Amino acid sequence: MATVTVHSLTFTYPKRSRPVLDGLNVTFPSGKFSLLTGVSGGGKSTLLKLIAGLTPLPTAGSITFNDQPLADIAPTKRAATVAMLFQEPSTQFTMDTVNNELRFALENQCVDTAVIPAKITAALDFIGIADLQDRLLMQLSGGEQQKVALAIIVAMDSDVILLDEPFASIDPPTRLALLEKLVALCTKRGKTIILADHDLSNYDRWVDHLAVLDMGKLTLLSPADTQARFAAFTPDKLQLTHVGLPSDQPVSLQGTQLRLGHGERELLASQDLALFAHQATLITGPNGSGKSTLFRALVRLGKYQGRLTYDGTDIQKLPRKQYARSVGLMFQAASSQFLNVTVAEELALSRKFGNRDYFTAERVQDLLTQLNLAEHTEQIIYSLSSGQQKKLQLLCMLIMAPAVLLLDEPLKGLDFASIQVVMHILTTVQRDLHLTLIMISHQLSGLDDLITLHLALADHHLTYKGAPA
Amino acid sequence: MNPSLKLALVILIALEVSFTQVWTVNVALIIISLILMFVGHVKWKRLLWLTAVPLFFASALVWSLALQGTTTHHFLIVIFTRMFVYVYMGGLFTQTTDPLTLTRSLEQNAKLPSKFAYGFLAAFNLMPKIQAEVATIKAAALMRGQVLHVWSPQLYFKVILAAMNWSDQLAAAMTSHGFVEGAPRTHAVTIALRARDWWVFGISLMLVQVGLFIGLP
Repeated sequence: MATVTVHSLTFTYPKRSRPVLDGLNVTFPSGKFSLLTGVSGGGKSTLLKLIAGLTPLPTAGSITFNDQPLADIAPTKRAATVAMLFQEPSTQFTMDTVNNELRFALENQCVDTAVIPAKITAALDFIGIADLQDRLLMQLSGGEQQKVALAIIVAMDSDVILLDEPFASIDPPTRLALLEKLVALCTKRGKTIILADHDLSNYDRWVDHLAVLDMGKLTLLSPADTQARFAAFTPDKLQLTHVGLPSDQPVSLQGTQLRLGHGERELLASQDLALFAHQATLITGPNGSGKSTLFRALVRLGKYQGRLTYDGTDIQKLPRKQYARSVGLMFQAASSQFLNVTVAEELALSRKFGNRDYFTAERVQDLLTQLNLAEHTEQIIYSLSSGQQKKLQLLCMLIMAPAVLLLDEPLKGLDFASIQVVMHILTTVQRDLHLTLIMISHQLSGLDDLITLHLALADHHLTYKGAPA
Repeated sequence: MNPSLKLALVILIALEVSFTQVWTVNVALIIISLILMFVGHVKWKRLLWLTAVPLFFASALVWSLALQGTTTHHFLIVIFTRMFVYVYMGGLFTQTTDPLTLTRSLEQNAKLPSKFAYGFLAAFNLMPKIQAEVATIKAAALMRGQVLHVWSPQLYFKVILAAMNWSDQLAAAMTSHGFVEGAPRTHAVTIALRARDWWVFGISLMLVQVGLFIGLP
């Protein structure tokens, strides 16, 4: 049992003028489930990392566990005090197998070697994943990895469990199963749980006070306000009015007996798949179902079984350089796309090899202004915010204007105004240049004007949705 | 054999071979390494690679030295076999040692600080990730009309950037699972350092000394 208290905490990242957390005061009561929400970039992750001791505190003692600062707790007892589950499932392990990672964590706590096996079995049984014990961590799905990470926290018996958007890449049923385990830890074992999430569905039964973090300040809502927030929360709904079933449109990319999967895990069962030219196709499906894997296969970065053709030619037989100019991918992680240091250099590279007739200097300048990037041209790319990086990334790939452009979550992390601008630009350029756009997006609002075809990935199958044309 | 002791043995023998010119000992070491690799069920394809690569470089070296005409036949044979000793002994070590066991042994037997031991393991686990990252960077460049070669500085700039990011993530992962630098730990799996290991180590070294002594002109 531990109560977490934050006393007037102000935190500013180096070389930034505005503090992320500004004179924050909050108490997370022992044995309770606290839910933290707020806009992206509002400081949720920063606060959790500070509590977990992963980021050094500006003033020691501004965060205490039962009135004791973390630094005063013996090193081998710290993990038993506080532990954190990360947003990105695959980045939280040191060892190769589930068993070895559990051993590693328990060894760090100086647990007697005689009781380690029993503790491991008990923790895996509590989460219900005893069958995963000897599996390689890298071969598990995101949901399974999060379950393992939670089992490790159970094994370490940490009093305070911090979770930073732990369900961001997990499908709804797994999310619910994990949530129930967390609540059980809270009610049956008296653990203090602090969870950051922007998706507020399914919490109404368990959370009394919603904590909202905005502009560096934290507000604790009353039970009535909290329930009102939960009731008002409706996940984005997909609205597509221009979508019909494909009829006799020309085919751009064709998969024959296409099958995707890593290891024994099948993502896409063998099927024929046609992607149509000059259309804007949206691909939807649960997280981890294989949408990004499909994109990587289409640009020859990932393995697949079966045959993929582009304009009738097997993509493996086309010269690499020529194919890369015809079928481009806007990566989900913006940093994967960039090759230079400043914004201006990056744009110059795109213009050098891209469609210069359409993207004249004036047009690029105009687009930069629309995207609120015009004043950042001399800035180093990696110092831009994630939203700015995403917008620059899109612009760079649009200037390249490949015949087929694959967009993997192009709207991720953008605010509402930016989404409107980006969708307007995408729609205009697609119409003017007759590009083939294929897009994966979890952000479902604002897509209506652009999308003409809708592919849904469910139960290892991709099928076109919509009314017959 | 105990991994730390095995590593020490391989390094010691390689050092000695570097400073002596006895081709019979080299041949003996090559044969022993080959036999041990057979016993250790090293894959045929791997063995073929381990033979083809040094064969190319050793032949090229011997050929160029022979062309100069100032070296003796004896020295050429020594150089040729020495190359194989290095590669085969290195191969024997890497192909018959599990990285995790080596890490545990370095931590427990060689008393290496756990920070270094697990750092080594993390670097090893990073290898496939680096390969995937390089492929992604090259593809990203191709899509922008730029061809990146192994010697392109941009490639290294990006890989280093990614590696820095991973090292932060790894540090956070280790901390959140309770790893504290310099703090005491228990060991779920103990790596034994038996008397037999020391005997094998001692006798192997002695045999090499005897061989070198007899073989010296």
